[in-house]
Amino acid sequence: MHLTALLWVCMQAALVVAWCFTDMETGPGAGVSTQPNGDRFKIEGRAIVPGIKTQDWVSTARILVEGEEYVGFVRTDGSFAVNDVPSGSYVVEVVTPNYRFEPVRVDITSKGKMRARLVNYIKTSEVIRQPYPLQIRASGPHTYFMKRETWGWTDFLMNPMVMMMVLPLLIIVLLPKVVNTNDPEMRKEMEQSMNMLNPNPELPDVSELMTKLFSGSKGSSKAGGSSKGTRPAVKRR
Amino acid sequence: MAKLILLCLKFIILSSAVEAVFEDQVGKFDWRQEYVGKVRFSHFDTHVQSSKKVLLATENNVFAALNTRTGELFWRHVDKTGPEGNIDALLQHGQDVVLVVGNGRLLRSWEINVGGLNWEIVLDSGSFQSACLVGQQDNVKHVAVLKKTVISFHYLSNGHQKWIENLPESETVDYQSVYSDGNGEVYALGIVPHSHIAIVAYSVEDGEIIKQVTMIHSSSIKYAVCVVISQGMLTCVDPLTVSLYMLDLHTESQMTQIPLQAMLVSFATTGEKTVAAVMSPKNKTASSLNLFSAETGRRLLDTTLIFNMDPYGGKPEKLHVQAFLKKDDSVGYRVMVQTEDHTLTFIQQPGRVMWTREEALSDVVTMEMVDLPLTGTQAELEGEFGKKADGLMSMVLKRLSSQLILLQAWIAHLWKLFYDARKPRSQVKNEVTIENLSRDEFNLQKMMVMVTASGKLFGIDSKTGSILWRHYLDNIPSNAAFKLMVQRTTAHFPHPPQCTLLIKDKDTGLATLHVFNPIFGKKSHVSPPALPQPILQSLMLPLMDQDYAKVLLLVDDQYKVSAFPSTKNVLQQLQEMASSIFFYLVDSTQGRLSGYRLRTDLSTELIWEVVIPAEVQKIVSVKGKRPNEHVHSQGRVMGDRSVLYKYLNPNLLAVVTESTDLHQERSFVGILLIDGVTGRIIHEAVQRKARGPVHVVHSENWVVYEYWSTKSRRNEFSVIELYEGMELYNSTVFSSLDRPHAPQVLQQSYIFPSYISTLEATLTEKGITSRHLLIGLPSGGILSLPKMFLDPRRPEIVSEQSREENLIPYAPELLIRTEWFINYNQTVSRVRGIYTAPSGLESTCLVVAYGLDIYQTRVYPSKQFDVLKDDYDYMLISSVLFALFFATMISKRLAEVKLLNRAWR
Repeated sequence: MHLTALLWVCMQAALVVAWCFTDMETGPGAGVSTQPNGDRFKIEGRAIVPGIKTQDWVSTARILVEGEEYVGFVRTDGSFAVNDVPSGSYVVEVVTPNYRFEPVRVDITSKGKMRARLVNYIKTSEVIRQPYPLQIRASGPHTYFMKRETWGWTDFLMNPMVMMMVLPLLIIVLLPKVVNTNDPEMRKEMEQSMNMLNPNPELPDVSELMTKLFSGSKGSSKAGGSSKGTRPAVKRR
Repeated sequence: MAKLILLCLKFIILSSAVEAVFEDQVGKFDWRQEYVGKVRFSHFDTHVQSSKKVLLATENNVFAALNTRTGELFWRHVDKTGPEGNIDALLQHGQDVVLVVGNGRLLRSWEINVGGLNWEIVLDSGSFQSACLVGQQDNVKHVAVLKKTVISFHYLSNGHQKWIENLPESETVDYQSVYSDGNGEVYALGIVPHSHIAIVAYSVEDGEIIKQVTMIHSSSIKYAVCVVISQGMLTCVDPLTVSLYMLDLHTESQMTQIPLQAMLVSFATTGEKTVAAVMSPKNKTASSLNLFSAETGRRLLDTTLIFNMDPYGGKPEKLHVQAFLKKDDSVGYRVMVQTEDHTLTFIQQPGRVMWTREEALSDVVTMEMVDLPLTGTQAELEGEFGKKADGLMSMVLKRLSSQLILLQAWIAHLWKLFYDARKPRSQVKNEVTIENLSRDEFNLQKMMVMVTASGKLFGIDSKTGSILWRHYLDNIPSNAAFKLMVQRTTAHFPHPPQCTLLIKDKDTGLATLHVFNPIFGKKSHVSPPALPQPILQSLMLPLMDQDYAKVLLLVDDQYKVSAFPSTKNVLQQLQEMASSIFFYLVDSTQGRLSGYRLRTDLSTELIWEVVIPAEVQKIVSVKGKRPNEHVHSQGRVMGDRSVLYKYLNPNLLAVVTESTDLHQERSFVGILLIDGVTGRIIHEAVQRKARGPVHVVHSENWVVYEYWSTKSRRNEFSVIELYEGMELYNSTVFSSLDRPHAPQVLQQSYIFPSYISTLEATLTEKGITSRHLLIGLPSGGILSLPKMFLDPRRPEIVSEQSREENLIPYAPELLIRTEWFINYNQTVSRVRGIYTAPSGLESTCLVVAYGLDIYQTRVYPSKQFDVLKDDYDYMLISSVLFALFFATMISKRLAEVKLLNRAWR
């Protein structure tokens, strides 16, 4: 219900806009070609940086209309006016090195009617009305800098490399405690499995040895499977 | 859905892979210098005794406030370029400054403490003549603006017009200045040349004409500079007769003439007194300044000031005097001297220079970066290889001795470091001078040779930004075009490096050469050839003469070629090479592009010609590739492991044309890719409903250009990439004459959400590092946009293969992220050019952006892969190492104990 109401309002707004600017809609850029002696208009508005005194930022601010085609300056109270602009459609930007302002598109008819709308470069004819005279509010300071990666213990511990190192370490330390290696039967079994895996005792494979050591208690069948598993990989090369 | 998430993730990874500045890197390897341009008006702020401000209005349409103690900027306002932003007058009252802008179109009032605007109003059209403030000393309420035919009167508080009146007999009388004595009358002064002076007095209240006076004057003060000083005295300086004319406007007496011995005169008022500062030449290198009372014309005592002229600078041109009352009520002063080379020097009595500003640097035309020379000891080592071998033994001895010298230098360096470390930091001077300049380990510090429009050359250290040498070339034509070329680098040790500046008068085409040493700025003893004919084209050949200087060819309007240097050796080499030397000429007025070949007798023959009908479209720019560019990989590896080879034609030219018809429905932008040797058109593209200004970058196998789309009213980027295909025709040598297959052409366009001022691509030593585009924006930011985003192979539908290739899916709009601004908040106003140079590190590219300001920095397009990052955690790595070391020690000990215990069991 709420949504439909909103939609209806939007549609009405669009209708109103269409009605107001019938002479604009002859073509999206009908007003761009201007005569040098044509009427000149004034784009007015106000720029606001919430929480900051105007005198702290106005000296670095400029109003750019269509790049640097027309330039305006900000008054000490934050308001601005760009004089001598012929009719047409322009993107108005407030430019400061420290604060971010959204650009606004301002359409001026040949009779001097003004309207402001959101800049949409993809759907250029879309009209989302903005207040005129312009009210441009800074959306915060510019973020120019990346955050440095700070070093913390948690980051260090959660690092996958560290996890990979720490977990085996834990296993090495804890496993002998859990499985009693002093038990002669167990030891025998382990040795047996090791011999089976390592047909050539003179050339012990370290990595294999390690894996076998950890998985050894579970029996040799699995180890055999894994060695089988590696075979196709070798073949593929 | 999962696919989408994956896509997003990839995008995030890709975008975070792009470099950005860290906050602690601010000012570490970058610097900015801000300029205002050639000063037109200046006004010392006197309304507060302790004020340190001087207000400047410049020819570059900049209004700024400088600190008189240091010469630094308080604030600056940059208006639009051209006559519409031209500042016609500057008036100050209290903390308000009134400017008349754009030939009397706008009246602006500024608040000078904050640097904000008070008000701005539009005046009626009409050519501006003069303006003045109306009122008593501290009670100024109005401002009067005099135009060719009207005089208008405005309130100072809000700019509203009080009255406007037509001037009588404005057809014959040339009204030049307006003046008020503050007693309710405003005078408009007009001159009828060679006849009389007309004065019209208006009532301040309602603009009624109170009286009209005409005065016969004896001499023609046509070229005179006139001011009206207090009590209605008109004082004029006539530079022709070098004398001062005085006229009392109230008594209407005859003019009195006071002869002067002077070059330059400037007036200043302090309190009740008005003085004239007069500069007169003393000897060849110095001038003296004296103060004269403007009421009496008498010289004031103890006011002599000596100004020493820079032998590499220009002559003084203008004086800006700051007069103040001393405690004993006598007049003291400081003076800002402006010289022909736009330098501002602020001097205090008796001649102490407080600061200088090189305002010529606000108008850099072209620049080059030159490697610094090796130190003496390093050069000694290098020099060993250049000489002829004379026996094994002596060579060994020489090597040993030079190694000893190096060792000695190293120990001396260490000692100096140790010595400096003990001193407090503030005392350690690390000033760079020409003497201690030397190349650093990674060749990151270079000499920036900058050529400015005023004809002044600068040598700037790229690390600190300090000016190491300057050289003013006088008699440069005002519309000169400059081309700077490095003929010999510092790599050929006994021979000094050599740069050549080609200065060409745009009207006549006549050119001169200035040959100089780029490290010291001194004019070379090599005498350049006289060029009697207009020059059409200049080209540097990779050929070198026996002194390792590259050969410069100059083509005159008779299509005759002359070489510089033109020794016998060079001419012989040229004869051998002639058949393979091709060049092109562009005639944009006739739309003709023609290619020529050199003959052995140094005449030329026409090989090809492309005519672009000038009535339909005009050639805007022709761009080749940079000769010092390296391309590392010949192709791109595709998703299916095949290779797509790049079309790397070093002779390719990108020709940009714009339609002459500017109607938005019919205008277009065209781009032609032409082989410069054969004239073969490789590719042609037209962007309909588009217009310029077009910015182009041409590099490797791609061309990126930017234009304005009139249909959608937005800026668009387009990229063209050329590929040979899956096979390379001749992989060893590229020859334009033997390429039977036309390259594959891929093109894609994107929306860019801002206007751009200039465009350049990064450049690295070997071309391994990925490329970025550096985009200068009107807001002053310099955006570093990865070339990856401008890739015509960006797919619309993501496939397994495109993912394998790391292609970003196509999105119509390119983003501007402020993290990509390489100059963070150090904006560069009106950026006109970006210069990129490789450094000794493959990852690092040196960047200089110039416009009104100069900004130098380094960029790392693929991050710093070849050096440790500056946030590298030495502490962590060493503590881990130590911890491991101790852990092994302890565990060894424990193991021993355990073994022992086991043995006992």
